Amino acid sequence: MTKSKTQRIIAILLAVAAVALIALGAIHMPQRSAQGGRDILDALRIRTLLNATGEGVVESYVAIAKQEASNKAREEGLGMSALREAVAKAEEEARAQHTGTSVDYDTVNTDELVSALESYTAALSAYYRTADAAQQAYIEEHMPEAEAAAEAEREAKLAAGQEVSEDEEVTVDMSGFVATEEMNALMAKADEAYLAVGEALKGIYPVLDDAALETLHDTIQGIVYQSGDDFTAQYDRYMEAGSGAAVSNTTTAFFIRYADDLIYCGVALALAALALLFSRSLVEKLGIPRIIISLFFILLCLLALLYDLSLPTLLSNSVVRMGMNAIMVLAMVPGIQCGISLNLGLPIGLVAGLIGGLMTIEYGIPGWGGFLFAIAVGSVIAAVAGWLYGLLLNRLKGEEMSVTTYVGFSIVSVMCIAWLVLPFTSLKLRWPLGTGLRNTIGLDSSNFKHILDDLLSFSIGDFTVPTGLILFMLLCCFLVWLFSRSRTGVAMQAVGNNPRFAEATGISVDRMRIVGTVLSTVLGAVGILVYSQSYGFMQLYTAPRQMGFIAASAILIGGASTSRCKISHVIIGTFLFQGVLTLGMPVANMLVPGTTLSETLRILISNGIILYALTKSGGGSRA
Amino acid sequence: MSAEYVLEMKNITKRYGENTVLSDVSLSVRPGEIHALLGENGAGKSTLMNVLFGMPVIHTTGGFEGQVLLDGETANVTSPHDAMVKGIGMVHQEFMLLPGFTVTENIKLNRETTHPNIVSRILGKNLETLDMEAMAADARKALDSVGMSIDEHTLVEGMPVGYMQFVEIAREIDKTGVKLLVFDEPTAVLTESEATQLVSVMKQIAANGIAIIFITHRLDEVMAAADSITILRDGKLAATREKAKTSVVELAELMIGRKGESMVEADPRTAPQDKVAMSIRDLYVDMPGEEVRGVTLDVYEGEILGIGGLAGQGKLGIPNGVMSLYDTQGSVTLFGEPLKLGNAGDALRAGIAMVSEDRKGVGLLLDQSIEDNIVFNAMQIKGEYLHKVGFFTLKDGGAVRRTADKMIRDLDIRCFGPMQHAGTLSGGNQQKVCIARALVMDPRFLFVSEPTRGIDIGAKKLVLETLLRLNREQGMTIVIVSSELQELKSISDRIAIISEGKLVDILSPNASDADFGLAMSGIKPGDQLEKGDDAQ
Repeated sequence: MTKSKTQRIIAILLAVAAVALIALGAIHMPQRSAQGGRDILDALRIRTLLNATGEGVVESYVAIAKQEASNKAREEGLGMSALREAVAKAEEEARAQHTGTSVDYDTVNTDELVSALESYTAALSAYYRTADAAQQAYIEEHMPEAEAAAEAEREAKLAAGQEVSEDEEVTVDMSGFVATEEMNALMAKADEAYLAVGEALKGIYPVLDDAALETLHDTIQGIVYQSGDDFTAQYDRYMEAGSGAAVSNTTTAFFIRYADDLIYCGVALALAALALLFSRSLVEKLGIPRIIISLFFILLCLLALLYDLSLPTLLSNSVVRMGMNAIMVLAMVPGIQCGISLNLGLPIGLVAGLIGGLMTIEYGIPGWGGFLFAIAVGSVIAAVAGWLYGLLLNRLKGEEMSVTTYVGFSIVSVMCIAWLVLPFTSLKLRWPLGTGLRNTIGLDSSNFKHILDDLLSFSIGDFTVPTGLILFMLLCCFLVWLFSRSRTGVAMQAVGNNPRFAEATGISVDRMRIVGTVLSTVLGAVGILVYSQSYGFMQLYTAPRQMGFIAASAILIGGASTSRCKISHVIIGTFLFQGVLTLGMPVANMLVPGTTLSETLRILISNGIILYALTKSGGGSRA
Repeated sequence: MSAEYVLEMKNITKRYGENTVLSDVSLSVRPGEIHALLGENGAGKSTLMNVLFGMPVIHTTGGFEGQVLLDGETANVTSPHDAMVKGIGMVHQEFMLLPGFTVTENIKLNRETTHPNIVSRILGKNLETLDMEAMAADARKALDSVGMSIDEHTLVEGMPVGYMQFVEIAREIDKTGVKLLVFDEPTAVLTESEATQLVSVMKQIAANGIAIIFITHRLDEVMAAADSITILRDGKLAATREKAKTSVVELAELMIGRKGESMVEADPRTAPQDKVAMSIRDLYVDMPGEEVRGVTLDVYEGEILGIGGLAGQGKLGIPNGVMSLYDTQGSVTLFGEPLKLGNAGDALRAGIAMVSEDRKGVGLLLDQSIEDNIVFNAMQIKGEYLHKVGFFTLKDGGAVRRTADKMIRDLDIRCFGPMQHAGTLSGGNQQKVCIARALVMDPRFLFVSEPTRGIDIGAKKLVLETLLRLNREQGMTIVIVSSELQELKSISDRIAIISEGKLVDILSPNASDADFGLAMSGIKPGDQLEKGDDAQ
């Protein structure tokens, strides 16, 4: 049998399995809110309730037996140790007598209990709905305060020179929340309903008294309903309580419970089948590494769904991160096109951009003016530095990869000294004591924090579209694309592609390499400013060191080689790279809780991709 | 030495896949004779020697057919080292010497005279002490036998090239039991006096009973040194001759021969000779491996001038020099106006276009589309195919596409479309793209360098026909440089032959093979005829 034939058969089998899974999921999904699902939940609920109550009843019997034994012993005037022995014996006997034999689940009449429970559940859910709404309102009302407090704390930390963690969630202190009138009324109703449940239970377990019911209140309430319960949460809770035996048709119940996961698995199988079916043309079109990364990304999406993480939020974060990083990745394009290969000396541009940003804050230029000023200053510095850098690279042809790496590292180290001595005076920038600039400089609304992110942004559900950021990214991509079609751009690409060819046409190879280097450096400066405005901080000192590598690996994932690239490689690569990181972290944390796996993953991925690309840089990749 | 021949190679046939590079070639060398092996580039000399030395390239490509006999016995040479053991030595064209070592060390490398010491007794033979005195004595003897007075303790580094050649020979002679030495174009890098000395050394070695195979294309040296001569042509044995019974003219004829039928028939015409299109004066070009050392040449307007010669003789340096792709000195006048040398752009702007012999290295942007390749020069040099969009001057995609489509049609470029990358095309179609780029420039003067190298026969024909058509219909002046004499003969009006960086002669395409053969080995046919007349 030929390889392709085997492949096709496997693909078809996978597709069939996928269709089956999706169909199974699709059939059972609606059951959750329909009669079937309700029946299963009811059965489980009653069983759990009876079990829990039964345990309470056993405890009651035991308590009574113990009391009797103790009384009897005391009357007989036994010693302390004999008394203890008698009590223990009575407890054992009572437990043995009552455990398991208390109620026969199949014969007991639960009709009364069911109707009582129904009204109790309804009352409880009404209460929780109101309570949730009230709490939400309270949170919204107090959010600004909490944010301000968090900001103040961050400022304090910065002032003290401590590291500030990224994306810390602001929480509202709920201690000031008071239940509303409506909530109290609903709670009273629920309590009444509970009494009815208690009566019904007494009908089944005659030994139960009011005191026992009182102690059982919280347990029963927990069993019946909890805030925000949906089918899966309740099902899982009941199963955990060991009530599985109550379900008559376990398979159906299982399918209903895992209907969504079945669909996800089905989709995964279908994708796998498609990938297998079109593997050859996919490999030809995209190349193996891009397929692997894409599949990994899809896998992460499915895992996020399986672990019930909010996929829209994660994807929204991915898009923001793509916009943040895209321009730095775009900076690789002129470098590759002009023949200096991956511009790992990108930190030159980054540093120039940071200086632009610092000057904006120093002069206190607000809003758009400040952002544009930062870009202008950064670009000018980057252009000059890039020109010098280009002269250096022209003297070291053929060794660009190591030279750019060294230059990148060196400039970061040099700037570590420079940040300490540059004559900036703004207190927002300087350490409160001594000299030098802070490690991390927080941007706020008086500078250009989120100036692009918030421009025209809108939300669809949990998915927030950072319109301004995306537009700016596309604008930069468009400009670079335009340049690549200009006469100079075409000449520059020829230099990168085949310097001897360019020379044979009278094009100055050195000049074109400088043009490319300057462009790359300027884009780096713009890139770091876009990154900072979205991130909310400007990071100095060693922070820019890794960014060149991250940008390089992103464009390589996108399908570029060290000698060939397109704008599409930038966008695809940045999205995949940042997407894998954004999704990878929460998913990795779910898989292996409490580790730094995600960080390790990030380093592995970014460096692994660079390594892979270098093995391919010898040429021949014309994908 | 009972056998008549020290080496006999009988009916050697070697194929690389479908390609037969040697067919039924035999070679016999007597002890103590100098046997010249003659042939053009690609005639099969190197392959025959590879077979003799059992080079891996032969074994890994399926071996060869035929028999190799040493001293009358069948020998199976499995590797170059095996060849050495069996007494066959090679004097390489590129020196295989270690520059940082002395002459003695180089001569005795890996065959050092050693005596045991304590360490070596324990740890093995590799750690024995070198006997420098004995080695130096051996080296002295070997150097004396090649007539070299140089001190045996001198470092090889910094020695004149000629000396290195002799050290190399001394090393081979020093090997005990050597009975056959192969000299692979030993005179190529030597000055005239050194070459003369080499010939006398070779004769001295041969007098000691060592046979020599002398590979060269210099016919006069062959006549001076060789006892017998084997001539290869197109992988076949052309002839075997005794020196006494042949002449330079005959050798030249045998070497060139007539290969196949001409693919393109040009209408016979009288070549235009009224106006000079380009006049080249004292052109020196520093192109590695193809140096030009003072060429003076006139190209007439409207003619097709062929430039021929053996590889490495400098014929490729002429177009590359005029286009300023390498350091160039001299003066070039184009249509009466002096051409500035030093920047390829100036030459292009002046209206010269060139189709380079190095298609992949210089001729094409392999990673870019056919259409971008075709219009590149016109866009960069003439500013065509651009249009203004707002503030930007951008590539005019529509115009580019139209021109590319037209060229693809006209030149029959076989491709999936104008967007296909040039690197994925076959050699012939790549060549057509190169020609298309030259044509889009609307040149007044066209250099075509090795236009048919590495392309299939159909493409060859089309390329040559295109050149002919351009010349006849548009009156374009064309200079075609090629190693394929047949090709030059079929379309050129005149053929200039270059040897050792100098112009030997300009011949008519109808000149005899002997004339071409002589010219290629650096002898001006007229001179030889005069000499021949004198002799008679």
